[in-house]
Amino acid sequence: MDARPVATAPRRPSWKLKPPHDANTQGLVVSGFGSLPTGRALFLEFGWPEGTGGGAWLNALEAVAPVTDADDPEAKTAALAFTWSGLRAMGLDRRALDSFSRPFREGMFQEDRLRRLGDRRGGEWLDTVIDGGPRWSANTPRREEVTAEAWTGADLMESAPAGDEQVTTPITVHALLLLYDANEAEAEERCKAVEAALAPHEVRVVHRLPLLLDPDGKGISRDHYGFADGLSQPIPYDEAALVGSDGKPVEKNPCNGVPLGEILIGHTNGHREKAQGPIVPDDPDGRPAAAGLMPHASAEGFFDLGLDGSYMVVRELNQDVAAFWKSLQANAERIRKRDPQHSGHVDTIWLAERVIGRSTDGHLLCPGGYLPPDGYGMPDNDYLFQARDPHGIGCPAGSHVRRANPRDALAPTAKEAQSLLDAANNHRILRRGRKYGPKIADPYQDDGKERGLLFVCLNTDIARQFEFVQQTWLLNQNFATLYDETDPLLGPAGRMTIREQPLRRIVDVETFVKMAGGEYFFLPSLSALRYLAML
Amino acid sequence: MRQTTLSVPLEVKPESSARLTDLIEALRQREETPPLGHPQEYARIMRDVPSLHFMSMSVFPSHDYDPLFILEANFDGPSGAFWGQIEAAFGEDLRAMLRCCKRPLDRDGPLYDAVTAPDSRLAVAPYFEARTMRPSVFHHGNRGMTRDRILDEAALFLAIRDELHEADSDGPSPYRGASAAEAHQKLRAALLPAFPWLDHRAPKRIPLTERATDIVRLLLFAVAAVFIVSLPGIILQAFMRTDRYLIALIGLMIAIVVLLFLKRKPLPGTEAPGKFRPIAFLLRHSLLIVLMLGAYLLIAVPVATGLHMLFRGLGAEAAWQPALRAVLLGLAFIPLALLALVLRLRYLERRDSWHDAPHTDEQSLREMVRREDWIAQNHMGSIVLIKPGVLRSIIIHAGHLGLGLLLRVKATDGYLGSMRTVHFAHWAFLNNHSRLLFFSNFDHSWDSYLDDFIEKAHAGLTLAWGCGVGFPPTRFLVLDGASHGRMFKAWALASRAVSRFWYSAYKDLTVDQIERNARIATGLRRKSMTEKEAGRWMLDL
Repeated sequence: MDARPVATAPRRPSWKLKPPHDANTQGLVVSGFGSLPTGRALFLEFGWPEGTGGGAWLNALEAVAPVTDADDPEAKTAALAFTWSGLRAMGLDRRALDSFSRPFREGMFQEDRLRRLGDRRGGEWLDTVIDGGPRWSANTPRREEVTAEAWTGADLMESAPAGDEQVTTPITVHALLLLYDANEAEAEERCKAVEAALAPHEVRVVHRLPLLLDPDGKGISRDHYGFADGLSQPIPYDEAALVGSDGKPVEKNPCNGVPLGEILIGHTNGHREKAQGPIVPDDPDGRPAAAGLMPHASAEGFFDLGLDGSYMVVRELNQDVAAFWKSLQANAERIRKRDPQHSGHVDTIWLAERVIGRSTDGHLLCPGGYLPPDGYGMPDNDYLFQARDPHGIGCPAGSHVRRANPRDALAPTAKEAQSLLDAANNHRILRRGRKYGPKIADPYQDDGKERGLLFVCLNTDIARQFEFVQQTWLLNQNFATLYDETDPLLGPAGRMTIREQPLRRIVDVETFVKMAGGEYFFLPSLSALRYLAML
Repeated sequence: MRQTTLSVPLEVKPESSARLTDLIEALRQREETPPLGHPQEYARIMRDVPSLHFMSMSVFPSHDYDPLFILEANFDGPSGAFWGQIEAAFGEDLRAMLRCCKRPLDRDGPLYDAVTAPDSRLAVAPYFEARTMRPSVFHHGNRGMTRDRILDEAALFLAIRDELHEADSDGPSPYRGASAAEAHQKLRAALLPAFPWLDHRAPKRIPLTERATDIVRLLLFAVAAVFIVSLPGIILQAFMRTDRYLIALIGLMIAIVVLLFLKRKPLPGTEAPGKFRPIAFLLRHSLLIVLMLGAYLLIAVPVATGLHMLFRGLGAEAAWQPALRAVLLGLAFIPLALLALVLRLRYLERRDSWHDAPHTDEQSLREMVRREDWIAQNHMGSIVLIKPGVLRSIIIHAGHLGLGLLLRVKATDGYLGSMRTVHFAHWAFLNNHSRLLFFSNFDHSWDSYLDDFIEKAHAGLTLAWGCGVGFPPTRFLVLDGASHGRMFKAWALASRAVSRFWYSAYKDLTVDQIERNARIATGLRRKSMTEKEAGRWMLDL
């Protein structure tokens, strides 16, 4: 979802990594590959018997679809990420497996996590999940089964706890390969080559999605609903590891600046320390050093497996485009019927813009109109809410963009705006998703085809970044002093308040998005990939 | 209305710890299963303990002490009525739990025996009352809002929403097209029959007497603190000439300032710049400081004059001058005393150890997480050890006392400064002041609550919790500390215990929503509004 312009000049300034990090980091971190419109997401399962494992398949993959670094854009590129159960199946050292962050180790489908993410509650899948439950996950084993000191229950001092629920999906995903190509034919050809190369290693493609990014002349891609997407991204800064695309140092962007460590492990993060990542023990063969891993700064005898890697959150989100437009059309009719004299401005588009918070072209809603484009003719993303629109009269307080990143909107007074903006920027994610499925011909007519967004985001602290955004902002029923409503686009059927003067309007939204699968992945650095190939 | 926060810590017989946990779990399960004919869980408590806002029961395991059973309660009014309601609702459950606890060795022993005897019918509440511990610092969100008022106003909010949605549902809404003032009138007329209390004025949330008491208590604390810190100066000045005294003070102060300046920098790797600027903070509050000093002068000079007249037999005319001199020179000593304390503190801080990676028990963490994020609020209970040393001890106790009094005076708008998510929270000292207990009933997830601390309230939190063993490195009492986000979260997590039983009287209401409902209700209690007032009021609907 990189929204950098593809064809037009002048370009909005961007950023890149400095050596040696540029050659060590996967290209997906610095680019959404806007110049490569087609792509494939190949979900891989390792079919070998338990205990055999190994990383030889990575060498086979290297021959047909090498994972590309952040150094130089290529004609075609690939990104590769692993689930915890995938790394375990490959035979990664036990201590290394334990050194990953808790959300990654437990997986997205740990029952308490699913509740916080709004997917499952009390043993039942919620309406925001496809019928019958999600199709794929890593099927991460429960902690009880992988924790060395199993519960004996023989202790007088403590009561025996109840076990976790094992939530499983039909498809098990051990790794995700993202391929980006210039056209459909090349993409299809490369897919076949990958499948053929991996089959002998018992690595199977168990699920696939065709990915699409179709930027217009300005470099803006639209989602299936028809709205410009991927406009707001955090802009990382780091004196040591990062420069602007023009080679000059990058100043902290006052609106969207985040420390590089929020995106890349091993760099200074929002808590003013190096973002923590996994480590691996040295071995007699000296494999970590041979792969190019650096000795870990504080763990003696261990190497840094995380440096220049990231955690990647993936959710396959089915979108019901016809339900979205038809529902808002019905709402617009109802509103006009209830308020014939003062609702001339309320039509389907007007409501849809309020659900999203932007115009279809991507310009933020403001009291009395839209935010004008920035100096590059692009939707301006350097905006704040508190001074311009504190009550959400322009951009509704519960709209998707305001929930997804409230910036300083949660500040009760102007005095606290800066501190709330700084707080919000501790919870940013770098989005790299793409849409899948065919475009809809008539947005008011359900054609029965599956389409949606393969949501992909990068962060180094899944709990503080992705999960916080999902739980505390998007799906929080009490976000910004609203009551009993969640994100109108992503949440379950319910209400959405649109403030107008004198009296607010309430829209009844339906469930437009259903999760079809999801998991937490580790996006390793290139040296970490080399190490994994040696397993 | 005045509200009460208390906790009752009871030491547990280690062999009975599992049994106690099971009893608490059984109680929770019983209350969560609604009795026949009742629509919702915890309906029995809602009915039988109508004063209760939040209550919890937890067992805190520890490596340093035997397990501790703590009952925490936050309720309306004084404790007498509350304990009566608790006795009726939970008497026998509490008796069974009490049998798992140790017999106290002090004068409450006989009461314990009487209450836990095999077939005792004696009320257990008096025992709990006798073992009650008052918090050292507490905060009440939505201050002065009784449980019933919170529930009533929430019902009003929903009724307004329905009325706006449903009135004349086949045709144009009567509330559209009207002016804001007219819409207010119409809504009031429509809702008055179902909510007759709209015709009465809202009870005052903080009565004048309560407010005055809070202010006077804070002033008395300030006067006492100023006196104690200036006392060495008052004594010294009696033996020294004014000019020599002042020269000595200034000389020492310069020396300490130089030393402090040299030691001001954080130790390598321990810096975590936050937004709090202590000097700016002091300057911002300089008026308050001057007022407090003024209050001190008003009290101290007459008292000192009286003492001079009494002990030296001087007339008022002759006594006031030496009295004033003593008080003023005493005041002049305060900066030196504070600087010396800060220097000593900085010395301690530079030698402190902190916990980089506190151990969290996997099983109890599971149990905590399993209970979280079901409703709008969450609960945490935590116990930490307190750092040793005389200076630290003085700072903690004076700090908590002052902070507690200051909160009563300042946090009156329903919120805790920039923290807008705290319903009821308190700190208390345990085990002869060797451990510090913290309970909080807050909105949203535990992670987001801690992030609030880290991102907005790190200075105040570092002040209140920085005395805990293992707390991330602090500087000058309020700097760094909680700004070490990951370290602070890990430390706080490791100090927690599972909230086995936890009750909230209003599960889906945040502090913010309660204040919003209160604004709406207050507006609707008014018979009329100007168009401008009504427009502002309607923004909340």
